[in-house]
Amino acid sequence: MLTNYTEQYLPNGIRLLFMPTDKFKTISMGLFLHQELNPDLAALNALLPAVMEQGSRQYPDKLTLQRKLESLYGADLNADILKSGERHVIAFGCESAHDKFLGENGALLKQGMSVLGSVTGDPLVDNGSFNKDYVNQEKIQLIKDIKAMLNDKATYAYERCIALMCAEEKFGTYKLGTIDDYANIDEEALYHYYKQVFSSNPIDLYVIGDLREQEVLEAAGEAFNFPRNVEQSRLSPTEINRPVQEVRYHEEALPVNQAKLVLGFRTYTAYGDALYCPLLVYSGILGAFPHSKLFMKVREEAGLAYYVHSRLERHKGLMIISAGINYEDYEKALEIIHRQLDDMAAGEISDTELGNTKQGLINRLRSQQDSPIQLISTHLDSSIGGKTYTAEELIAGIEAVGRPEIQAAAERIKLDTVYVLRPREGGSK
Amino acid sequence: MRENFRLIENRELHETLYHYRVYPGLDLYVLPRQGYQKKYAVFSTCFGSVDNRFRVEPDPEITELPDGVAHFLEHKLFEDERGNVFDRFAALGASPNAFTSFTQTSYLFSCTANFEQNLEHLLNFVQEPYFTEKTVQKEQGIIGQEIKMYEDHPHWRGFFNLLAGLYQEHPVRNDIAGSLESISRITPELLYRCYNTFYHPSNMAVFVVGDLDPEQVGRQVEDNLSGRNYGAMGKIVRVFPDEPDQVKRQKTVQELVVSEPIMFLGFKDNRAADLEKKYLMRRELLMELLLDILFGSSEQLYNDLYRDNLIDENFGSEYTAETNYGYAMIGGETRDPDQLYTRIIDAVEALKKEGITDEQFERHRRKLLGGYIRRFNSLEFIANNYLAYRFRDNEMFDLPSILQDIKKEEAVAVAEENLDLSYHALSLVMPQQEE
Repeated sequence: MLTNYTEQYLPNGIRLLFMPTDKFKTISMGLFLHQELNPDLAALNALLPAVMEQGSRQYPDKLTLQRKLESLYGADLNADILKSGERHVIAFGCESAHDKFLGENGALLKQGMSVLGSVTGDPLVDNGSFNKDYVNQEKIQLIKDIKAMLNDKATYAYERCIALMCAEEKFGTYKLGTIDDYANIDEEALYHYYKQVFSSNPIDLYVIGDLREQEVLEAAGEAFNFPRNVEQSRLSPTEINRPVQEVRYHEEALPVNQAKLVLGFRTYTAYGDALYCPLLVYSGILGAFPHSKLFMKVREEAGLAYYVHSRLERHKGLMIISAGINYEDYEKALEIIHRQLDDMAAGEISDTELGNTKQGLINRLRSQQDSPIQLISTHLDSSIGGKTYTAEELIAGIEAVGRPEIQAAAERIKLDTVYVLRPREGGSK
Repeated sequence: MRENFRLIENRELHETLYHYRVYPGLDLYVLPRQGYQKKYAVFSTCFGSVDNRFRVEPDPEITELPDGVAHFLEHKLFEDERGNVFDRFAALGASPNAFTSFTQTSYLFSCTANFEQNLEHLLNFVQEPYFTEKTVQKEQGIIGQEIKMYEDHPHWRGFFNLLAGLYQEHPVRNDIAGSLESISRITPELLYRCYNTFYHPSNMAVFVVGDLDPEQVGRQVEDNLSGRNYGAMGKIVRVFPDEPDQVKRQKTVQELVVSEPIMFLGFKDNRAADLEKKYLMRRELLMELLLDILFGSSEQLYNDLYRDNLIDENFGSEYTAETNYGYAMIGGETRDPDQLYTRIIDAVEALKKEGITDEQFERHRRKLLGGYIRRFNSLEFIANNYLAYRFRDNEMFDLPSILQDIKKEEAVAVAEENLDLSYHALSLVMPQQEE
């Protein structure tokens, strides 16, 4: 019932994952380079896609590149850096409308792929360096982005909690690195780094659309023909076993109206673990849905929050609870949250909660099949997690979860850090 | 139900939409999408935050609402005598949600199983209000937190400060959720009065999309409504204040915790309100094209501003035209709002003087067309936007043909009348000074 990928390797070792389907109006492509998350490399990893996106040898500036994309009916090209567990993934995407709606007869696959290939495999280089202006300009932009974390208070509080909780681990590295990291990077060092990672790190290329395998393979082989090492670097797995000595409490004040409460837990259960599905169900019952305990108790019964939820960092094995509250309600909110955790640990889970959560999780998994971006990102997850689940396998896994498995997952979970961002005296007004 | 049925075809997109008119006046649209796992339904009323003064013919008495009632009502419909509506969707494996805009309130769910029951549930809960003193009071606490959250949200504040600067009287200048003060004045009686007016099926529409049989959905909706004894409904007259052409204030500045200033520049469209509704979509397309020619990433200005570190990738522009207001908005984060302001204004003036080239016009037209096709991957996009257009008497599926039809000369003329410096305002969010 569900479509899956075919897997092949291009001559230079890039893995091609192709999904033929006529469901979508688009041709969607994604190229992902896998690297370790590491404080020493974070800024390099973040800067690389930002600079490459400015222009390539064939399309040497953004204006030329964007005009080319416009001629492809406004194809969208994007570059980003993703953090997932202790992996840092350099990501490029290109999406265009499918030819069949525009009478273009196959041109959009070939040309879209060629633009993506040009930007990733044939960058703008002078004299063994990237373009100096682009590098300087993107350094400024990224430093600005690091500072801009402050603008969204919920994200800021989340990132602060992670940074404090995982200060001694690779995972504590912010995905854009630190401002200081950028001081020592120049156009030559960055190009050197590009040569190194694009020739020896694993690269996955995804293509989804109403296309024939042969034409995809040919277009990809032509567009991504840069030389790569036969020997690929091996990336170490995410470390998930760090013990909790005692719960750490952190508080920061800013002139804001609403307090943000963030609780960081270690689950000791990562993506490939036998208890992964039970953990999904656990977090679902606790706080991933509007029917979950946290939403029902903190918001619907006590009226203390507009948002309150739990989320998993599936590769690092963390669970994060977030809520926006009045600071005066801090103790009260914390107490209600703890009571829900105690109930979970004691197995106080109704049949309704269990059933609803399983259905909700399954609904999410099935819904992901209707979005090319989600089809790509869920498969990317399996690459990062070192275990490939098909949607059907995960659904069966969730259906099989019973109370004993949830209990087993619950027993591993330990609160590590409580972080609160509170209004400074006087607030913002 | 055959006689109240028609097909709306879109050849460019290979889509066929089924439209039913269900007694007593509900519009139902069904778009079959083969191969999709997900089914999505949205039930909307043409009642948004700007509809704060109204009467129902023949009654001459005008009801005036405190700000935030449409949004408050949206929250409260999720609760009924049996408790929380979310629970029943959850039991059916669906994911429900709702949102309120300036002009509409929408209730929706998506699911991959039990579609019929979920649809029944959606139809039921939206048609069965339950408001008490106690539940209203509790919601004031929750929405209070929502309002506070947005008070800390710099882009949201910048946006509403801009509208409050552009408009003197029109309620689009007020926050959709209202204020802590205005929501404290909301009562169960007030909610019922609004409900009984705006939630009559003749003021509502349903859009359903997924791998579905339209005929079956049509029968289900018809059966659901037929047992409810709806009376006839007088015409709803929405009363809007006379809005002067002049802006309220040229410049609004708020200090918040932000890393860099945020600047939004707005142009008030004083003509949109006079236009026949059917021209609104054409006007939106012309403006979207024009703004993209002015500020898009494939043009010189964007690239110069980016190189000078005056903008980042999030810099953008948009235009909205509704039946009684309209505005264009340009901006983003910037280190130097004064300089960015000057460069934008200069570009607008230059365009009016120099015009645009055929090549530019065609390039951007192509881009808009491709972007429109791409967005048809998303069932949510189709359903939500279709109804938003429908409530202002526009047919979304006409978009590609209107796009083919618009002329360069029209775009230039619209720039002349719609990007008029006499009617522009500026909103700045500045980093808070540490004390």
